[in-house]
Amino acid sequence: MNASVIAPTRQAVGIGQIVISKAPDVVLVAYGLGSCVGIAVYDEATSTAGMAHVLLPLSEGHAVDPAEPARYGDTAVNALLTAMTQAGARTQRLIVKLAGGASVLGHTTSPTFKVGQRNADSIREQFKQRGMVIAAEELGGNRGRTLELHPATGKAFVRLAASTAVEL
Amino acid sequence: MIQHEQTSLMKALSGVARDGAARAGRGLSGLMGQEIRIHVPAVRVGTRVDACEAVGGEETVVLGAYLTITGDIAGHVMLLFPMQRALECVDFMCGYPAGTTIEPDEMAESAISELGNIVGSAFVNALADHLGLVLHPSPPIVVNDMAVALVESVYAEILAAGAEVVMIDTVFEDTAGRATGLLLVAPDSQTLSKIQEKAA
Repeated sequence: MNASVIAPTRQAVGIGQIVISKAPDVVLVAYGLGSCVGIAVYDEATSTAGMAHVLLPLSEGHAVDPAEPARYGDTAVNALLTAMTQAGARTQRLIVKLAGGASVLGHTTSPTFKVGQRNADSIREQFKQRGMVIAAEELGGNRGRTLELHPATGKAFVRLAASTAVEL
Repeated sequence: MIQHEQTSLMKALSGVARDGAARAGRGLSGLMGQEIRIHVPAVRVGTRVDACEAVGGEETVVLGAYLTITGDIAGHVMLLFPMQRALECVDFMCGYPAGTTIEPDEMAESAISELGNIVGSAFVNALADHLGLVLHPSPPIVVNDMAVALVESVYAEILAAGAEVVMIDTVFEDTAGRATGLLLVAPDSQTLSKIQEKAA
C-alpha cells in the first residue's frame, strides 16, 4: 500500500508582507521577485519558516504600514525576526537565505536608484549588524526570480522564468 | 495623498487614460491586423500586482517593451504580451506564416520593440495633447520575464524616487476575448501635480 502523500499548498508572500508558517504542507512563495528581495528564514528545531518580501531599501523616516511590515529593507529584518521569535523560533538558530535584487528593466533605469542592489545591501547590513550569517543568496543580475521555502525540510528553492527550481 | 485630491486626480486621469487607450488600441489593431477590444483603463493608486492577471498571472512569462517618458514631465510605460500572443504578433508584423516564430529571437525582439514604440507613443501623445506638454518617449527596451517581476520593479523605481504609485492599466483583447496585451502607464509625482493643475 502506498503511503498517503499530502500535496503542499502554496502561500503567496506579497509585496511588503511577512508570513510565518509551521505547517509542513504550506510552502511559502514570493513570486516573481524583480528588484524586490525575498528573505527566507528557518529554525530547524521548531520547524518554523518565515518569509519577507522587501520592496525598497530604506524607510527614510516613512512610518511602516502594519499591512506591509516588510516594505523597507531596514525595518523588514527586525519585523521578520520578531515574528519568528513570537512563533517560538530562536534568532541564533535561524538559517537565512536571500533571493532577488535584480535589474529587470535594463539600463534605462536610473543608476542613482539601482533599487535591486540597494535592497540587497540594506538587508545584508541588517543581518551583519546582528552578527547573523547569510547561508545562501541568489542576488543581482537581470532576471526575475521566484523564491520558495518548504517548512517540512527548511529547503529553499529559486526559479527563473520558464525554468525548473534550483535549491538555494 | 488626501482623499479629495485623489478623487479629482483620478477623474482627470481617467479622461486622459481613455483617450490614450483608444489611440494605443488603434495602433495595436493596425499592427496585429485584427480588431482589438479595449477595456476601459483602470486608474489605481498603490502597489497591487493584480494587473498581471490580464496577461495570465504573476509568473506568466511575458515579452514586451518598457520605455520612459522625459520632457516636461516624466513617467514609465510598459507594454506586456503573454509570450504566445507576442510571437503571433511578430509573425503578423513580419509577414510570416502563423506559427513561424517559436521563440523570442532577435527579429522577434526587434518587432516587439517597434510595437512598444508605436503603442506606447500613441498613449504618450494623448497625454501630451491633453496637457499641452512636450513629451519624449525613450527608445524601448525589450523585456522578457515573469510579469510580476517587471511590474513590481516599475513600482520600486517610482517609490524609490519618493512618489506614490499611480498606475493606469489598459487591457487589450481580441474579438474572441483572449487577452492580447497589457499597457501600464505610471506618471511620476510631478506629472500628477501637473495633471491636477490642468484638471482644476
